[in-house]
Amino acid sequence: MSNEFLSIEDLHIHYITQEGTVKAVNGIDLKLNKGETLGLVGETGAGKTTTALGILRLIPNPPGKIMDGKIILEGRNLLELSEEEMRKIRGKKVSMIFQDPMTSLNPVMTVGEQIAEVIEIHEDVNKEEAKEKAKEMLELVGISGGRAGDYPHQFSGGMKQRVVIAIALACSPELLIADEPTTALDVTIQAQVLDLMQGLKKEFNTAMILITHDLGVVAEACDKVAIIYAGEIVEYADIESLFASPKHPYTQGLFASIPSLDEDVERLNPIKGLMPEPTDLPSGCRFHPRCPYAEAKCSEMDPKSVEVGAEHRVKCLIYSGEVSGKGIENE
Amino acid sequence: MHKYVLKRLLLLIPVMLGVTFIVFGIMHLTPGSPARLKLGEKATPEQIAALEHEMGLDKPFIIQYGNFVKNGLKGDFGRSYLSNKPVFEEVLDRFPATLKLAVAAMTIAVVIGIPAGIISATKQYTLVDSVTMVLALIGVSMPVFWLGLMLILIFSVNLGWLPSSGASTWMHLILPSITLGLSSTAIITRMTRSSMLEVIRQDYIRTARAKGVPERKVINKHALRNALIPVVTVIGLQFGSLLGGAVLTESVFSWPGVGKLMIDSIKKQDIPVVMASIIFIAITFSIVNLAVDILYAFIDPRIKSQYQ
Amino acid sequence: MVEKIKKKSQWREMWDRLKVNKMAMLGLGILVILILLAVFAEQIASYEDVAIKMDTSIRLQGPSKEHILGTDEFGRDMFARIVHGARVSLKVGIIAVGIAIIIGGTLGAVAGFYGGTLDNVIMRTMDVFLAIPSILLAIAIVSSLGSSMLNLMLAVGISSIPNYARIVRASVISVKDEEFVEAARAIGARDNRIILKHIIPNSIAPVIVQATLGVAGAILSTAGLSFIGLGIAQPQPEWGAMLSGGRAFLVQAPHVVAFPGIAIMITILSLNLLGDGLRDALDPRLRQ
Repeated sequence: MSNEFLSIEDLHIHYITQEGTVKAVNGIDLKLNKGETLGLVGETGAGKTTTALGILRLIPNPPGKIMDGKIILEGRNLLELSEEEMRKIRGKKVSMIFQDPMTSLNPVMTVGEQIAEVIEIHEDVNKEEAKEKAKEMLELVGISGGRAGDYPHQFSGGMKQRVVIAIALACSPELLIADEPTTALDVTIQAQVLDLMQGLKKEFNTAMILITHDLGVVAEACDKVAIIYAGEIVEYADIESLFASPKHPYTQGLFASIPSLDEDVERLNPIKGLMPEPTDLPSGCRFHPRCPYAEAKCSEMDPKSVEVGAEHRVKCLIYSGEVSGKGIENE
Repeated sequence: MHKYVLKRLLLLIPVMLGVTFIVFGIMHLTPGSPARLKLGEKATPEQIAALEHEMGLDKPFIIQYGNFVKNGLKGDFGRSYLSNKPVFEEVLDRFPATLKLAVAAMTIAVVIGIPAGIISATKQYTLVDSVTMVLALIGVSMPVFWLGLMLILIFSVNLGWLPSSGASTWMHLILPSITLGLSSTAIITRMTRSSMLEVIRQDYIRTARAKGVPERKVINKHALRNALIPVVTVIGLQFGSLLGGAVLTESVFSWPGVGKLMIDSIKKQDIPVVMASIIFIAITFSIVNLAVDILYAFIDPRIKSQYQ
Repeated sequence: MVEKIKKKSQWREMWDRLKVNKMAMLGLGILVILILLAVFAEQIASYEDVAIKMDTSIRLQGPSKEHILGTDEFGRDMFARIVHGARVSLKVGIIAVGIAIIIGGTLGAVAGFYGGTLDNVIMRTMDVFLAIPSILLAIAIVSSLGSSMLNLMLAVGISSIPNYARIVRASVISVKDEEFVEAARAIGARDNRIILKHIIPNSIAPVIVQATLGVAGAILSTAGLSFIGLGIAQPQPEWGAMLSGGRAFLVQAPHVVAFPGIAIMITILSLNLLGDGLRDALDPRLRQ
């Protein structure tokens, strides 16, 4: 408990539109300790970004709404704070790095101004000091401080993401949420940016939630992993245990769909079918229409989260003994 | 940047040549002889022919146009058929009144339109938004001359608060500038709102919020500067509509500007005055647009660096 | 064939989106009523016997049972004149925009399709036209050609040519390099066929939006020209001219000025509502 920094309990977030209610996040539970990195893995539309925005209470409203749940940061439930209290947390205690660096920076402000702004808001400094600090931050992410007066369009994508990182880390946040920080970048730049984040994270002892659909990135950077499917966490484990023995059929499917250098496989095994429409989720286990081990019960019963090892939980009826799961690999 | 301004100024030359060509060409089609107009009904055909020769009206069109441009460059747009005064002076005399009216109307439009658009956008889907949008829609749908007459009816005739014609005091400016400015106010309101709504959805606004920037500053600093970029273009274009609308407004309020001069001259077939009025307004409009384009570069660094 | 299906569903989709837009439907409703009034003007009130029949003994009367919108300065029935005025305004507005679309659209399509010098010459010429505020250009044309309905249409139409040239050019450029046009070219289709069969249909939607708003602008310009005495001659009822005629009696009989203005406003409002709705339906990104 003493070590527990962030705890999300039973979070539900819906988008209410004319065409129907999109159930983006459906009862997510997560825990994160100080300095730890949690990987949040899932397909596009699984609810990863919504969860992240939910933590900062930045869900666009309307149409988005946090329906239920708790987000407890150091003992305080963020969902009960006033807007002003919440504002003081954003950028200071919790910051976020967004997916697309091309659009994340304000085109009419210099990068220096944009970094200095967050410092001015949260720290007791004057304009000059904030400017100085902004330059230091730029140097820290590997950009010459002399470029503080340049505008975003004068930087490349990778450089912009460095600026975004500088903004996010300027006030030494305790939690950094990185939403697919490398997806929009060239492969060669991806590793650089990831290394940079890793290094800075250690330096500042920041906890991190790393959102990604790339298991390779997870293996490299995370301590814990949560696999998210249709707005639910279907499997949660520490990194070793997940990579050693993935339990949930969906997780196993994810592993089967990445090419391996060690094994000589004829072809990849993608998960069949598509993510369900979030306006029309299947009954019972959300994954059952795509699950190779599904039985009749899977469409009727809502699986509960079951402990299958030390800090390894799975939401699947096979592991609660309701369904046989014949043929599932399980060592 | 200087290079860009210079280039744009140079580009004005062919545009102005084009404008004079079009206006001269259109006016050339006017039936009837200006010489007859000048000499009156009793003139003999010989007298008319003599005057036409003197005025150069018997020369081919292109020569006449060439002379017109040549003299125009020297500030000589001919003399009024009626008053015989130099046209350039007549238009220049009236010009400040039109400019005053247009600037007052534009000031109203900008000072009301931009804040109204911002409020409407930030309160999207509320009553305030709906009311603003309905008013703006009515504003763009009202004929300017009708609005002028209705304002006269209410504020001059019935309430007796404001004068209905003339231009001697600042009180005289109120009704005409409201009349002329209303549709631009409505258009700027609508444009600001939609541009603001577009910008508010952008990722960098989310970034600003994630930084803990207070909502007021998110709107007034981060969103507004970006949202203003297209609004500035609209303001520039609206200035053209204002100069056009000024013709009607001046006619309603007997405002002694270029527009009224032009209408009076059309009725008297005083073609040199009509031509000079249109050319003058077109030049003003082009200069305003040039100024807007330069202003643009100051708001949007992306454009500025394009021209460096 | 495939393209046909795609296009049909595009219109269908646009209509589905328009249908749920209450304001746009209100605009469409008003517009349909106005068009019906214009079409059946003669049945509602005879032109010869009512709309232009003067009777100075009943001049400048306010609204009453016999004359629901009162009478004008010559004792003519205002309602009949407004109904017949709708005919004139809609006709002038639509034909003027038609002229602008045909000339401007052709120029824009040619400029966009061929590009290069031709494009430059056409578009720079359009820039010159744009430097003259459109109402001034229209005033110049009418004052030179003389005021008649045809000249009015020409003047208002010509002064809005550049708008359509720009729109059509932009959409031609955007579809020019799409695959189906490339394919048509690959199988040897001639330029005019490609323009007519492939490019024009694809640029129609933005033109419709602009045309709806353009008719509103054309009606306003027409009324403005008539107001300053450059429009349609008496005794033909035209809203702007009616307003201008009643102007001298603003104090004694404000209804003579008020009603034609309201008629103009309702017409413009309905077109603007519909035009806005069409624009939103065309670009679903803007709604939400």
